[in-house]
Amino acid sequence: MRQAAPSKSRFPLSPTTSFAGLLFVLVAIWYAASSQNNAASYLLLFALASVSLVSIPWTFSNMGGLQATVESVKPAFAGQEISLAVEVTNGSRGTRYDIAVALPDLGDAHERIDEIPAGKAARTVLRFPAAIRGEHEVGRLQLTSAYPLGFLRVVKQLPSPQRYVVYPKPAGEQRLPAETSRSGQSSSRREFGEGDDFAGVRAYVRGESQRHIDWKAVARGQALMTKQFTAESDGLLYLDFAAVRLDDLEARLSQLTLWVIEAERARRPYGLRLPAIEIPPSLGEPHLHRCLHALALFK
Amino acid sequence: MKTLRKKDTRVPRRPLLWLAAALLFTLPPMFGTLPSWVPLLFLIALAAKFWMEPKGYRLRSLIWKLVFVALILSLLFFSYGSLRGMEPGVSLIVLLTSVKILEAHTAREFHIMIMVAWILCLCGFFLSQNLAIALCLLIAFALLLVALIQFHRGLSSAFWPPIRIAAKLLAQAVPLIILLFLFFPRINTGLRFQIAPQRGASAGFSDRLSPGSVAVLANSSAAAFRAEFPDGKIPPLSAMYWRGVVMWHGEGLEWKAPAGPAALPRTSQGPPRGEAIRQWITIEPHDAHWMFALDWPVNSPSGAVLAPGNYLWSNQPIHKPRRYEVTSYPEIPNNRLHSREREPLLQVPASISPAARALAQSWATEKPNPRAIVNKALEFFRTQGFHYSFSPGQYGKNDLDEFLFHRRLGFCEHYAASFATLMRLAGIPARVVTGYLGGEYNEIGHFFLVRQADAHAWCEVWFPDSGWERVDPTAVVAPDRVNLGVNFFLERRAATGQLDNTQSAFARQLARWPIFGRARLGWQTLSYAWDTRVLSFDGDEQASFFASLGMAGHRPIFFIVGTLSFATALLTLYAGWTHLRTRPGGNRVKIMYETFCRKAARLGASRNPSEGPLDFSVRATRLLPNESERIRRIANTYIALRYAPAPDPMMLEQFAKEVNAFVRAS
Repeated sequence: MRQAAPSKSRFPLSPTTSFAGLLFVLVAIWYAASSQNNAASYLLLFALASVSLVSIPWTFSNMGGLQATVESVKPAFAGQEISLAVEVTNGSRGTRYDIAVALPDLGDAHERIDEIPAGKAARTVLRFPAAIRGEHEVGRLQLTSAYPLGFLRVVKQLPSPQRYVVYPKPAGEQRLPAETSRSGQSSSRREFGEGDDFAGVRAYVRGESQRHIDWKAVARGQALMTKQFTAESDGLLYLDFAAVRLDDLEARLSQLTLWVIEAERARRPYGLRLPAIEIPPSLGEPHLHRCLHALALFK
Repeated sequence: MKTLRKKDTRVPRRPLLWLAAALLFTLPPMFGTLPSWVPLLFLIALAAKFWMEPKGYRLRSLIWKLVFVALILSLLFFSYGSLRGMEPGVSLIVLLTSVKILEAHTAREFHIMIMVAWILCLCGFFLSQNLAIALCLLIAFALLLVALIQFHRGLSSAFWPPIRIAAKLLAQAVPLIILLFLFFPRINTGLRFQIAPQRGASAGFSDRLSPGSVAVLANSSAAAFRAEFPDGKIPPLSAMYWRGVVMWHGEGLEWKAPAGPAALPRTSQGPPRGEAIRQWITIEPHDAHWMFALDWPVNSPSGAVLAPGNYLWSNQPIHKPRRYEVTSYPEIPNNRLHSREREPLLQVPASISPAARALAQSWATEKPNPRAIVNKALEFFRTQGFHYSFSPGQYGKNDLDEFLFHRRLGFCEHYAASFATLMRLAGIPARVVTGYLGGEYNEIGHFFLVRQADAHAWCEVWFPDSGWERVDPTAVVAPDRVNLGVNFFLERRAATGQLDNTQSAFARQLARWPIFGRARLGWQTLSYAWDTRVLSFDGDEQASFFASLGMAGHRPIFFIVGTLSFATALLTLYAGWTHLRTRPGGNRVKIMYETFCRKAARLGASRNPSEGPLDFSVRATRLLPNESERIRRIANTYIALRYAPAPDPMMLEQFAKEVNAFVRAS
């Protein structure tokens, strides 16, 4: 979690759409009052104008003491939606109402928080499409409120240093390489999963074969665990950038992404070989994300 | 920022309820001024909305909407004959709003409805401006604010907070409203559209006096005008004849005023005699030219002329309350009457019966002295069984004979008209004056309230030695009417069972309660203040107000800039106050530590919210090795101050010094 500090770059007050309606009503009343010289209508005009003016300090103070922080963002694949959790903290002594949270640099995603009591925080999740692979900045966080009357809104822009990663879109026609490439040290590599020698246990994943569940542990009242065995493998699966027979860089990366996911799903240990980086073969979630991260940041 | 998602969603029920309540309060001015089916349809639309809303029904189809609009237009056209003018226009707005109510359901439409409701408030002020209506519309205005606030509070269901905030907003706005009302220039746009509201006969008498024309006003408690005597010289109630119109043209029981003041020759008159009585009069709109003043006004307020016959004539019809000052004298001698003036004052229609002519002739031959003739005529009315009645029954247009010789039952207009006609027949110049007699004194506001029920008609006859003199034949027939006022008269009649109106009798019983009486006087005073201080403050009043402040001659832009800069100053004051009230809480130690954190962040070591002071100091010393000593001291002092059971006050001072010196030293 990183703290976003307020910045005061632009004039914070701007009209809302209902401000246009207010202006229309004010002009209509003024026209009617002045052409009829009707003092009561003038009174209505001035009352409406005064109340709208007096509401401005209220709108400003409704923004006072608000801080917003972006929680860490989970990566997503290009084309999917990114969920970004924002926590808005009210450090003031008054309740804050009708706060809209938006990310002006990342499209028009916005969420409304109805109420934040004094000293409390409210959490909201903003969703926006992840378009391009790579590491991106969240940029600015924008808090907006038109409370209490909704004619004028105060905008508070908070730069957020938070970054998020978009993995390449998994796509491609080519099949996961079946044969494994040989390397000098490969004979000493162990392949997890299938084999003869018991290597340990890990958490059971739904859909896995039930053959290797550690039923004794279940009988002891523990969670479902899968026993892991190792087998000598004569070759290793290396997903090689150079091996993808495609011209377009993004298409290549998409193909590699797809392979990484397929290999992970097939529980075949895989490594990734990019022009600048080589990730040794392994399995498991951290490894998967490491590979996807490398693909996302590939230049 | 892009459109909020909220706009596409349904509006929560609670703001809608507030909006509906506000719409209800915009209705009262419409009842009574518009055909009653217009506000009734509006009410039905509101009720239908509340039936439809929980079921999710709403007016969707364009065809139905068009059918409704066409129906409304044709109904209005049949009702008014035309769609031009103010009442058809307001009716149209009200009815279109009803359709909109059935249709609206999104947040955007909610905002449109709020705007429409404000326009309805404006329409209300165009229909009526009295204090009760103004209070209704003020409530509607406040409820609209509550609806908006509730809308922005989302699903928060607390009942009182939005009301409290609306009240605070209004209270804060009051100085600004007063400022704008007094100083914001009333620019005459020149875009005048004249929409004269059509009023019923109850708004006052006409330029014609006919049997029953004053009697219809006798039961109207509507105010005609209010009068103040700034010098404290108050004439007795029985002499409080408020002069309205002088009628020169008589046709027996029917008398007519000239179409305009210019139609008459100017009368020569001597200097006024007696004590000058200054009056401030605030007149209710009656859409005619009459203005009222005590017998006899000698000057004319601006915008009015003193017509021949010494009555006031406004240049413009009076469409809104107006306040003016006028001075009257009890006597204006006028002992020269030219023959061309005299001639029209003796004209009688040829249709007068021989019996009436013979009656007048008999007085004239018996007594040569005009005064004696007048007394003879008054005696005739006193002794020949004439009765004063509010409901004298139908007289034909010129049934002078029937009144004089048979039925002998009449209201003031019968007596005034017949007396003046008889005087003319006897050769004495005479005319009829209509106006008001008496009034109700308000001891809280120190003014007289003159109602339509106080309408009266009397005569003036001309004597060669003294000029015009007032003669009130009604005073002879019903002395109480003149001495005690019409209310007392009505009460006594009700008590003797002559008035079979039980409801008004009950109301009068109620009116005798002291508390009720005080409340009524208080309300009248407030209403008077509203009329005189607010409603009559127009462009001209503003100009004289500026002159009294020595600010005359400035251009409107001067006042616009002035008021706006004052408003800005006031807003800044409010902003500062609310900021101080709601600034971040916490004690001094915490605030100072936050200052330290801000300073450190500027140097590149920002503290995570989850980071404890000790962890942060370790990280900060690594990031800022030059300041490591001070950072460690600050962290230790902070921990000691915050968590020690009884920290040393000296330590706090030390801490403040360290925090202050933190960046300056680097």
